[in-house]
Amino acid sequence: MRETVLKDVFRAVLATAAAVLLYSLAGAAGPSVLVAFNAFSVVVIYFSVRRGEVFGAFAGTACGLVQDAFSLSVFGTAGLTKTLLGFLTGYVAGRIDVSPAPRMAAFLLVVSTFELGAWVLLSWAVRQEAVGLHRGLLLVQPLVTALLGTSLFLAERRFLARRREA
Amino acid sequence: MPLWDKRQSVVILAGLVVFHLLLISIQIPRGADKSLFEKSVFFVYSPLQRAAVGAVRNVRSVWKDYFDLRGAHKENRELKERLFFLHQENRFLQDRLELFRSEARIRESLERFRDDLIPARVIGIDSANPYRSLVLDKGSLDGVKANMAVCDKFGNLVGRTIGPVSLREAMVQLVTDKESSVNVMSEKGRLVGSLTGTSGPICELRYVLASTTGGEEGEELRTTGHDRIYPAGIRVGAIRSIEKDPSLPLFRKIRVRPFFQFNTLDAVAVLPQVQGGEK
Repeated sequence: MRETVLKDVFRAVLATAAAVLLYSLAGAAGPSVLVAFNAFSVVVIYFSVRRGEVFGAFAGTACGLVQDAFSLSVFGTAGLTKTLLGFLTGYVAGRIDVSPAPRMAAFLLVVSTFELGAWVLLSWAVRQEAVGLHRGLLLVQPLVTALLGTSLFLAERRFLARRREA
Repeated sequence: MPLWDKRQSVVILAGLVVFHLLLISIQIPRGADKSLFEKSVFFVYSPLQRAAVGAVRNVRSVWKDYFDLRGAHKENRELKERLFFLHQENRFLQDRLELFRSEARIRESLERFRDDLIPARVIGIDSANPYRSLVLDKGSLDGVKANMAVCDKFGNLVGRTIGPVSLREAMVQLVTDKESSVNVMSEKGRLVGSLTGTSGPICELRYVLASTTGGEEGEELRTTGHDRIYPAGIRVGAIRSIEKDPSLPLFRKIRVRPFFQFNTLDAVAVLPQVQGGEK
């Protein structure tokens, strides 16, 4: 039991590190990329689908707080929304079959739209100010997250299938 | 059966949600101050960001150095670096000339300025809104402290350093952040106001009374140094539009386009601390 918990903590730290790496690489490509692509969400979604809702919630907390640390926004807003994202994604993915690609894409689009909506609402509630949409680019974020997430799962599936064949 | 066994995951979620709500609520009265926890997270993960960006730059650099332009690229880089400092010096010299018109003081300021200037590279952009902050690859070990002005390679104001400043990394609040405020003056009309960001590409010049004359579209704005953070005379932006503000009839609504561009923000200069516009 203790070993499993330690392994999960280690995995969560690795997941967060992976998110920071992705975010840093995306940032190097320009500010618009960072608006349209949230590396932390992709990582949270991936680990939530793979490891379930509890791990997803913890990974969401870790990734969200790190995202907040790299921002001037109120510390904890991304933490809370990503915790909810991780839990919701893990919970639903554990109860319905989301493995077919179109279903996976639709599912990820719904959860990432939920996350963005929750983040916008929470930011508005905390700061009493509307969140800038960056000429609508922010609205593309769930779509990008869904596409990247689906591609990630498909690539992983293909890789595992090839390894099994070999 | 206890609740823990029955609804373990829901209890964990509830615990995490409460934790976050507490975390958010304790910040509300403290304003922009960063908590120790937030600083710790930044301290732990910012070296990772630095390593990631450094690795990418190194790979790019190796490719260019050895397979692309070899020696020419290296020389070019050195020349660019020299040009960067010359830009800064030139801009500073011009600004000082306009402000003091005293050659002796200009020379003295320039000498000190050259010694203290800290060149830095941008390794990250704000994860929630790119127009709010940046992360630099220089920290307290390099002499960076909070409230130091940051300029781009053309001498245009980018923002100021804010806490947390870690050992090797520092955060910069951009002039485009809505919580940023820079005291500026227009070049020709001597229109004085407070430049505030909108967390978007355009800033606003606030607290300019409707009765005030002067100021026209395209006019340059420079720092006054009155805020005791930014040295006087740094170019900030140009007036984009001047309108009447129906919601605040007492003031003019002046939109400003900042000069700094994200695509030229690879290298920046951190300026040493100033007192009332003087070094």
